[in-house]
Amino acid sequence: MRQQVWIAYLLLLPALICLAVFRLYPIAAAVFGSLVADSLTEPGSQVFVGLRNYLQLFADPIFWQSLWVTIKLNLVINPLQVILATLLAVMANQRFRGISFYRLLFFIPLGVSLPIASILWRIMLDPNSGLINSILNVFGIPSQPFLINENQALWSIIAVATWKGVSFWMIFIWAGLQNIPRELLEAATIDGADRFRRFLRITLPLLRRPLLFVLVTDTAVNFLLFVPMFLLTRGGPSYSTNVLMYEAYKSGFIYGDMGRALALVVILLLLVVATVMVQFRLFSREAEH
Amino acid sequence: MGAIFRRLGTHLLFCLVGVLFVLPLWWSLASSLRPLDEIFKFTSPFSINALIPQHLDLSAYVNIFADKGFGRAIFNSLLVAVTTVLGGLIVNGLAGFAFAVIQFPGRQILFFITVLTFLVPFETISVPLYGVIKSFGWIDTYYALVMPGLANGVVIFLFRQFFGQIPRELAEAARLDGAGWLTILWKIYLPLSKPVVISGGLLLFLFQWEAFLWPLISTRSEQLRVIQVALAGFEQRYATLWNELFAASILATLIPLLILLPLQRFYIQGVTASGFKG
Repeated sequence: MRQQVWIAYLLLLPALICLAVFRLYPIAAAVFGSLVADSLTEPGSQVFVGLRNYLQLFADPIFWQSLWVTIKLNLVINPLQVILATLLAVMANQRFRGISFYRLLFFIPLGVSLPIASILWRIMLDPNSGLINSILNVFGIPSQPFLINENQALWSIIAVATWKGVSFWMIFIWAGLQNIPRELLEAATIDGADRFRRFLRITLPLLRRPLLFVLVTDTAVNFLLFVPMFLLTRGGPSYSTNVLMYEAYKSGFIYGDMGRALALVVILLLLVVATVMVQFRLFSREAEH
Repeated sequence: MGAIFRRLGTHLLFCLVGVLFVLPLWWSLASSLRPLDEIFKFTSPFSINALIPQHLDLSAYVNIFADKGFGRAIFNSLLVAVTTVLGGLIVNGLAGFAFAVIQFPGRQILFFITVLTFLVPFETISVPLYGVIKSFGWIDTYYALVMPGLANGVVIFLFRQFFGQIPRELAEAARLDGAGWLTILWKIYLPLSKPVVISGGLLLFLFQWEAFLWPLISTRSEQLRVIQVALAGFEQRYATLWNELFAASILATLIPLLILLPLQRFYIQGVTASGFKG
């Protein structure tokens, strides 16, 4: 049997080459690229500048503003999406006549891409003739500015991204729910535990793995959330939605400052890795109790 | 009585949540079937007619294909997505099989690296990836759109978990009979792997169908424009042709939904079987 072990490497080769070229190498290139700058004396060549790109960022108030917006966004959107996705999964997992129709409705945002969700919600959130404001007016609530107000823009973007995102994350939690043995829940019912207590004591602990998976991947996705800012607010009004990823895009592809863009990307990567590690810590510690 | 009220309450709650998800699309669908001058006729002040199409005016759908080149964009997106699904299932399926079934030195470290790659979302590396693709001379080609999407850590992970649940005795018995690994994959594992092929395939399809930032920076010419970039460009160029914007959005949503919804059950099965349990 031993002599056929090389087959394993052969089977892995295409995937590993692709991952190395299109994922791992670009990460290394980002780190390297953030440490160089275009040479002023020899056009077209690059010189090593050490941490200069980073030091310039740290001296820039726009960087700190963008960092704060990114952190604020993630502190709200990740818990919000995980909680709503869990509630939705619990709903989808119910069994009664007509449930398959509701499941169909819950699945619909899966087909809506984030660019489309952004465009549709922009029209619906229009301060003058948008659908949402006209519905609010029916209930006697005055029209809101939403995306054009610096106090409301970030929350509007969180709402749009959450509307689009929860269906996707629900799938993983729902799959976890289906793997919980029915007998466990039935036994708890016989022991007199009510619905809420059953969920807290049995369901939630057994959902730890899917929840952790969703929280970690969702966090990684939301730290890089870019499309709604690009299409809806361009980072404004007054930088209130200017997340680091959008700042990186602007630096690299609008202002042509790749060094700055890559330094921002490296900082974002470090942020994601640090957050994910904290999440792993917290969750595994909770598991010990 | 109590039971009836409780059931009514359940339906009310489920309806409310359902409406929240459907409303934007339903409104877009109704609006896409209106002539342009009536788009906002019923929204302010709000009347229920905003949600009921009064005419079946298909001119918006005709225009986006005839003048605005959406046919090409849909073709491009489908071509890229389908190529990625076919290639990606092979590349990731083979890797998942190797990780799950064959014992070889370095297995754990290689799998760990694979998992690490999906903590680094595509968007972060799009800036440096541009340099890589440029050095291959692939900017503004289909290669730029397809190649970086083929290998996918999540899909490898799904395949590995799924194959890992198939009893190893099957493979071992076949080995004793002198079967090679490829025969085992083809004859034993592949026929069992419908759910994971579907869920992995859908993940790859959606990844490409929804791709926006990467196509935006890696292609320039009109010929290669994918659906999401075309939509965003349309929105910026003809912001007031609302009915056509809605029509294009509806089409770009219906195509993945028509593929997704019939496969919904298998999709859940594939994810469930991949070990998302406690």
